[in-house]
Amino acid sequence: MSDLAPTEILALANILDELDYYQVLHIDPESSAGQVRQAFHASSRAFHPDANRHLDAAHRGAIARISKRITEAYTVLRDAKLRRAYDDALREGQTRMQIAEAEAKAEQQASAELEGTTPNGRRYSALARQDVARGDLKAAARNLQTAITFEPANTHFKARLAELREEIEKERRRARGAL
Amino acid sequence: MAEVAIGIDLGTSNSCVAITRGKTVEVIPNAYGEATSASVVAFDEDGAITVGNAAKAKIIHQPTRTVYSSKRLIGRYFFSEEVKKAQAVCSYRIVEGPNHSVRIQAADDQYSLPEISAMVLKEMKAIAEAHLGQSVTKAVVTVPAYFNDNQRQATKDAARIAGLDVMRILNEPTAAALAYGFGRGLTQKVAVYDLGGGTFDISVLEIGTDVFEVLSTAGDTFLGGDDFDDRLIDLMADEFSAQHGINLRKDPFAFEKLKVAAETAKKNLSVDDEVEIRIPDIARNEAGDLLAVERRVDQQEFASLVMDLVMRTFKVCDEALQNANVTVRDLDGVILVGGPTRLPMIRKAVGDYFQTQPKTDVDPDEVVAMGAAIHAASLTSPEQTAYLLDVTPLSLRIGVAGGLAETVIERNTPVPIEQTRTFTTFQDYQERVKIRVFQGESRQADGNERLGQFEFAGFRKARRGEVEIDVTFAIDSDGLVRVTACDRATGQQASTEITLSSGLSETELEGILEKGDTDRVQTATPDGVSVQADQPDTPPPPAEDELETLDDADLDDLEELDPDLEEDSLELTDGVQTPPAQMRGDALEVDADSGNPADPVPVETDTPPTPAAGGDGKDVDARDAYLGDGGTDLAGGSARDREPESK
Repeated sequence: MSDLAPTEILALANILDELDYYQVLHIDPESSAGQVRQAFHASSRAFHPDANRHLDAAHRGAIARISKRITEAYTVLRDAKLRRAYDDALREGQTRMQIAEAEAKAEQQASAELEGTTPNGRRYSALARQDVARGDLKAAARNLQTAITFEPANTHFKARLAELREEIEKERRRARGAL
Repeated sequence: MAEVAIGIDLGTSNSCVAITRGKTVEVIPNAYGEATSASVVAFDEDGAITVGNAAKAKIIHQPTRTVYSSKRLIGRYFFSEEVKKAQAVCSYRIVEGPNHSVRIQAADDQYSLPEISAMVLKEMKAIAEAHLGQSVTKAVVTVPAYFNDNQRQATKDAARIAGLDVMRILNEPTAAALAYGFGRGLTQKVAVYDLGGGTFDISVLEIGTDVFEVLSTAGDTFLGGDDFDDRLIDLMADEFSAQHGINLRKDPFAFEKLKVAAETAKKNLSVDDEVEIRIPDIARNEAGDLLAVERRVDQQEFASLVMDLVMRTFKVCDEALQNANVTVRDLDGVILVGGPTRLPMIRKAVGDYFQTQPKTDVDPDEVVAMGAAIHAASLTSPEQTAYLLDVTPLSLRIGVAGGLAETVIERNTPVPIEQTRTFTTFQDYQERVKIRVFQGESRQADGNERLGQFEFAGFRKARRGEVEIDVTFAIDSDGLVRVTACDRATGQQASTEITLSSGLSETELEGILEKGDTDRVQTATPDGVSVQADQPDTPPPPAEDELETLDDADLDDLEELDPDLEEDSLELTDGVQTPPAQMRGDALEVDADSGNPADPVPVETDTPPTPAAGGDGKDVDARDAYLGDGGTDLAGGSARDREPESK
C-alpha cells in the first residue's frame, strides 16, 4: 500500500511526465540491473492497483497511471540495450520513451556499431576487416583493439575481437598438433 | 457472516474450487468427496441439466447431449482452426451463432460458450456454498496464461452469468506459483510447467518474498491431455478398422466409449506399468456378431505414441526461457501443474529438460485453485499480502494497409502498461480512420486473433501528414485491453473496450441473466438427491468500474479485411521499426464507405461528426465507434461509463 497521502498520489500522477524513469523508480542512474528489479518490486508494493483498491475512483485512476509508468520504466531500464538508448535520449532532455522507440533506437545503435561510430573506430575496424580478408588474424586483432580504444562501449567490436582471439587460439593449437 | 471469496480453477477437463481460511488453504470437495469435478454439462431428455462428474458419466449414454472440453471453444470465432478441430472430435453439435460466434446445439436449445462455462462455474459455486453453509459471490477465476483477450472476456462473462463477482482473472501458472511460494519468504526463480486437459502453458517467475514477478510466459492452446487421449483413440480405432473393416469414429456411442477407455488407460498409466483396455460389444460385424476392443499398452508404447507432443512442450519452454533471459541452470525449481504431469514419462522428460527433479509436493490438480484462493483472500483482506506482477502473453497489434499488423505492445511486456504510437493521415482532408486491433505474433493481420475495431473521426481535416493521431493501447492487471485514439491538436478522442467476441453482446448477456436459464442446473446434494440449485436469480450488480461492452451490431463483418485502400490511410509518424520505403505499407486502413478514397475529400463542414447531442456518446453511421466530444477526458471515465446503444 502506498505510504503517500491521497493528495500526494494525485500530485505524483500529475507530474509523471516530468520525471525520468530513474526518478519514477526512485533509483540512482548508476543502479545495477539487480537494483532496477528490486526497485520495481518495491514500487509495486506501494503502487500496485490491488494494494490500493480501497481508494476512491479518482485516486485509483491516479494509481493506475503511476503503476503503468512504473512498469514502463522497468521494461526499458531492465534491458541493457533499451536502457542505453533511453540514457542517450535522457541526456537530450527526453524523460519518456515508448518501448518501440527505444527498441528502434537500440537497433540503430547496433547497426551503427557494426561500422563504428567514430572516424577512428570506423578506420581501424575497416583495416581489421581487410586483415581478415588477407588471412592475417593477428593484425586484425591489433587493429580491432585500437578501434576499441576509440569506442570503448562498442559491444559489436568487443564481440568480434573475442571471436578473433578464439580463432587465433584455435589456429595455434592446430599448428602445435601438426608438429 | 464474514464475506468470503473463493478461487476457481475452471479447467478444460476438470474444475476445482478452494478457499483460504485463516492461514490454511483448502480444496473444497464436492458432495461425493471428490476434489475435482468434471467440466462437463449434460442436457437430459427431461430438460434437466447435470454438471460435473455425474454429467461425465452420461457421455457414453447420450453423447450428443453431453458437452465436454468446451473451454477449447470459449472466446473463439466459428471459423477458427480450433473450432474445426473440435467439430471433428466432439459428438455434440457445434454450430455458428451471430457474428461468427460459436454455439452449442444441445437437444432443442442453443447455448453460447459463456453459458456452458457458467453452468460449470455455478456448480463450483454451489459446491463451495454447500460446504461453507453460506452464499458466495466473490471469486478469482483462473485462465491459461496464453488465453487471448477474447477468451478472457468470455470467461468473465461466464462468471457474471453464474452470479459471481470476478475480482480478478488470474493466469493459471501465476496462481500455481503463488500456491507454491506464498508465505514461505522465498527468493527463487521458478518455472511452472502447466500441461492441462486442453492447453499447455509455461511461465518463468521470479519470487521475491511477497512479490511474484512473471518474467515470461509462452504456451500452446492447441495442446493438452486430450491430445494424448486422441493418440490412444487413433491407435484403437485404426487397429479395429484394419481388423474388422469398421470405422468406430462414425458411431458416436462407440466413439465416446473409446474416448472414455483412452482417458482411463492414460490415467492408469500414471501409476501402472501396463494397462489393459477392454471395451466389450462396441460394434457388430455384418454377420451380427458383437465385437470388442482388446489391447494392452505399456509405458514404453504409450511414450512412443505421445513423445512428439511432449517434445512440442519443450520447444515452447525454450521460447519462454529465452524470453526471460534465463537458462535452466538459473532456475531453482520446476512446479508441475495439470493431471497429465502425473504421467511418469512426463515427469522424467521434464526432469531431463530442466536438469532438476520437478517439485511434486503440491497436487498438480489442485495447485491452481489453491493459488486462486490465496489471491482471492488477499483481495478481500485489508492488508495486501502478495503482489502479482504479470505479463501480457501475446503481442498487441494495430492493422495497417497491405493486410499487415504493426506491434504496439510486445508479448511478455509487464502489465499494467500503456503504450502510444503516433500516426498521421495519408490523404489530404481525410475524414476518418478505422483502427483494428489484433493480438498475436504474425506480421500478417489475419495470422492474428482479431480483437475488435473502432472508427476514429472528427479530427482536424488537413493536408496529408499534418494531422497527428495518437493511438494508445492499455492493458490492465486482468490482462484486458483498452484502445484509445486521440487527435493531438484538438484532443478529440474515441475509444473502445476490446470486448467484441466473447460471443455475447451486452444485450444478449442481459437477456441470459434475466432468463436465468442456467438455473435449470441440478446440483447434487450430499444425500445424492438432485435438487434445484438454490441460486439467487439476479447476479450482483457489476462492480463500480465494470466497463460496458460494445453492442453486437458493433461487431463488423470480417470479410471487410480487404486492405487495399492505401490512398485513404494513415501512416506511422514515429517511424519506429519502419524504414521510409515501407511507409506506404504501414498506413492505417480506413473503411470503404468513408467517402471516396480516390478523390481527396474536401472539407464539407466544420461540424464534428459527433451527433448534435454532443458528448452523449452516440456513434457515427458506421456504428462501430464511440466518439467523445472534443476534449472529453477518457481517463476521467466520462466516455467509458456511457451506455452502449441498443440496436
